[in-house]
Amino acid sequence: MTDINDPMAEIRASFFIECEELLEALQDGLQELADGSEDAETINVVFRAVHSIKGGAGAFGLEPLVRFAHRYETVLDEVRNHRLTATSDAQKVFFQCADHLSDLVRICRDDQPIPVAEGEALLTALNALLGDEHEEEEVTAEDFQPLGVALSLDLPDLDIEAEPETPCFDIVFRPGQDLFATGNEPQMLLRNLAALGEAEITCDLSTLPPLDQLAPETPYFQWNIRLTADISEAEIREVFEFVEGLCELEVTASGVDVPVPEIVDEPPASEPEIIVEAPIVAAPVVEDAPVELKVIEPEAAAPSASAAGAQKNNAGPKSVVRVDLERIERMVNLVGELVINQAMLAQSLDQAGLSPHSDAMNGLEEFQRLTRDIQDSVMMIRAQPVKSLFQRMSRIVRESSAAVGKDVRLLTEGEGTEVDKTVIERLSDPLTHMIRNAVDHGLEKTAADREAAGKSGTGEVRLTAAHRSGRVIIEVSDDGAGIDRPRVLSIAKSKNLIPQDANLSDSEIDNLLFLPGFSTASQVSDLSGRGVGMDVVRTSIQQLGGRITITSERGKGTTFSISLPLTLAVLDGMVINVADETLVLPLNVVVETLSLGANDVQMLRPGEFVVRVRGGFVPLYDLGVMLGYRSPRETHEGSIVLLISLEDGNRAALVIDGIQDQRQVVIKGLDDSFYRAPGIAAATILGDGQIALILDPTDVIAAATPNRIMDKPMPERKVANE
Amino acid sequence: MALRDQIRIMVVDDMSTSRGLITQALDAFGIRNVASTSDGPTALKTLETSPVHLVISDYNMPDMDGLQLLHKLRTGAKTKGVGFILITGKADKAIIEHGRKLGMNNFLKKPFEPKDLQACIEAVVGRL
Repeated sequence: MTDINDPMAEIRASFFIECEELLEALQDGLQELADGSEDAETINVVFRAVHSIKGGAGAFGLEPLVRFAHRYETVLDEVRNHRLTATSDAQKVFFQCADHLSDLVRICRDDQPIPVAEGEALLTALNALLGDEHEEEEVTAEDFQPLGVALSLDLPDLDIEAEPETPCFDIVFRPGQDLFATGNEPQMLLRNLAALGEAEITCDLSTLPPLDQLAPETPYFQWNIRLTADISEAEIREVFEFVEGLCELEVTASGVDVPVPEIVDEPPASEPEIIVEAPIVAAPVVEDAPVELKVIEPEAAAPSASAAGAQKNNAGPKSVVRVDLERIERMVNLVGELVINQAMLAQSLDQAGLSPHSDAMNGLEEFQRLTRDIQDSVMMIRAQPVKSLFQRMSRIVRESSAAVGKDVRLLTEGEGTEVDKTVIERLSDPLTHMIRNAVDHGLEKTAADREAAGKSGTGEVRLTAAHRSGRVIIEVSDDGAGIDRPRVLSIAKSKNLIPQDANLSDSEIDNLLFLPGFSTASQVSDLSGRGVGMDVVRTSIQQLGGRITITSERGKGTTFSISLPLTLAVLDGMVINVADETLVLPLNVVVETLSLGANDVQMLRPGEFVVRVRGGFVPLYDLGVMLGYRSPRETHEGSIVLLISLEDGNRAALVIDGIQDQRQVVIKGLDDSFYRAPGIAAATILGDGQIALILDPTDVIAAATPNRIMDKPMPERKVANE
Repeated sequence: MALRDQIRIMVVDDMSTSRGLITQALDAFGIRNVASTSDGPTALKTLETSPVHLVISDYNMPDMDGLQLLHKLRTGAKTKGVGFILITGKADKAIIEHGRKLGMNNFLKKPFEPKDLQACIEAVVGRL
């Protein structure tokens, strides 16, 4: 947290936030260059990003950052000015420099010591690009003779030459004792004066004596007139020609009467988390009108042509407010409480036996709708595109491919897919590991191996994100040789991870990779073999309420698919009864509910049933049996069945005992000290205070598939202390 | 009233950090009438209706750089007399020379201390 009383600390904090944006723009720009962009603006963007970081860093005295950014910027400037060509080798250096720059930014932000060696190598590489000594001709302040400017503090001279404004006069007219006696009438004079231009006349009554001292024939008033007219002082005096000597007259030219435009100050720095920009209000503000504060997007700092156009049309810039994450977290928690409370209220109203048409029940319905809207809105605040995560992964690919000497290209898809911020943060480690694995183990060892298999020498790692049936699917795939199953099997046996006589299907062998202590690398490589296995990856994903699956085809490659819930907080659930338990099933998987007739169920073999659904057959599972709540029934006739869709696109029918309700439930994570029970994703608190488990249907079905060795409950290994 | 109470300044910089730093420094000098904007076109539009005495602009900005802004200011009927200080990360000879020709009043190289900024401004408008 920054000290809210220290504006510099606040600006410093906002600098580092701005840096993240600049670094992102830098990465994007470099990628565009690498993709062969010919647009001159691309290199400009890249240059400006580095330049701006340098500029800000200088202001905060972050010397190492300035020094590196300066050299980097110098080289980019050469490219920008066509004195240097960005060869693919140069681009490689640029990418590395961008990575190093982002490290330096982070190091400076966290006040950590700067590792010297790393940057030196890159500085040398940059210098090599520059070639012979690069002369930088800079001007010192002494070389420049500042040019004074004549200031008129009423700002008239700014306009005077351009468009002569109407002169303005301040006139004070004080009638003398004898004015009335000589038959002169002030009103006439003032009227004549007003005819010359625009007059603002105020009467000064301050010299009016108390009534008992008032002489009826003596003028007491005086008038102050502000006259705006294109005339000379002499013309004004002319009006008063006949009363000369009978009055006091002061005429002062007060210059151009420019309506003072309101200028809005920067707001005082009080809230460090919210950056509010106050641009000058475009139109002159009428005096006394409330000062208008617009909140504009600080990032609009680099407005595109279209954005500028939009502003011209007075559409108003998009407003963005930066908010401390803690506040959002609090809001998410409060919304969770609200949802629980609403459920409790609904329950008590229901128990009170109110008519569904009563005002209270109608009000409750509205309340539920509002609660849902609030929840959606809050979740939207937390959602972020996975782009930043993917950008980090492109760095991992660059580094890891360099480390193992492979030529690898990263393809990404679905960067705009939005995922809960926490999910994005906690995906970073597992994804890093998976990407390294793909580069190190997934792809063939050499380009020659690839070419022998009829593929291009450059390996491909693909990273995609998409929304699918209410979840986020993130896939990491490589176009390598696929999993060497005989080898995996023999390793698993040699490490006694499975019985020596185990007879496993392909997919079961693939899943052996997730076993703790499994590592296929024959020697610990620089990259992936750091004692962290895919089991840790799987654990991290499961802690996010997600699942990871693996598919592989010999010679074609391997795909790891991560499926995650959209949010970690609230779920639309169907509350069901199974045996005497209350369970919650995510509503989005439920396709329909059926009541089984006598002829609907067919037995394939003992213990395996299918149910006929509109001409097709769907496998039938008894949830109560699967979860160990009760023994199998004689007949399923009359049972209630939920038809659900699974993530692999298949359907399944679940026998349950009853449906209570559809409602939103707040997801409460299960403590790590519990064994991971297959099929159980989390828990929730219902309206009556009862705790119910939330099922993960795909996992339930997977666990029920016979001979599965993978999903036996295993002691959790903690990934990190949270 | 001192000059600092009356002078109006506009700060133009695409980086909010830089804008913040400059406006913060101006505030510390006791200058209250400070407006800021993130790009040249907006600055020009605003200056038409809300004139200022002095424009302090960054050089390196997208779409319209500091000197392009200066050129527009000098050719604008209402803005040609305005003071102009260029803030630049690199006091490149060509840039400064170009600025001089366009009628730049002063320049300041980044990074700078608040007192440098003050001296730079005072060289143009007199004692604050």
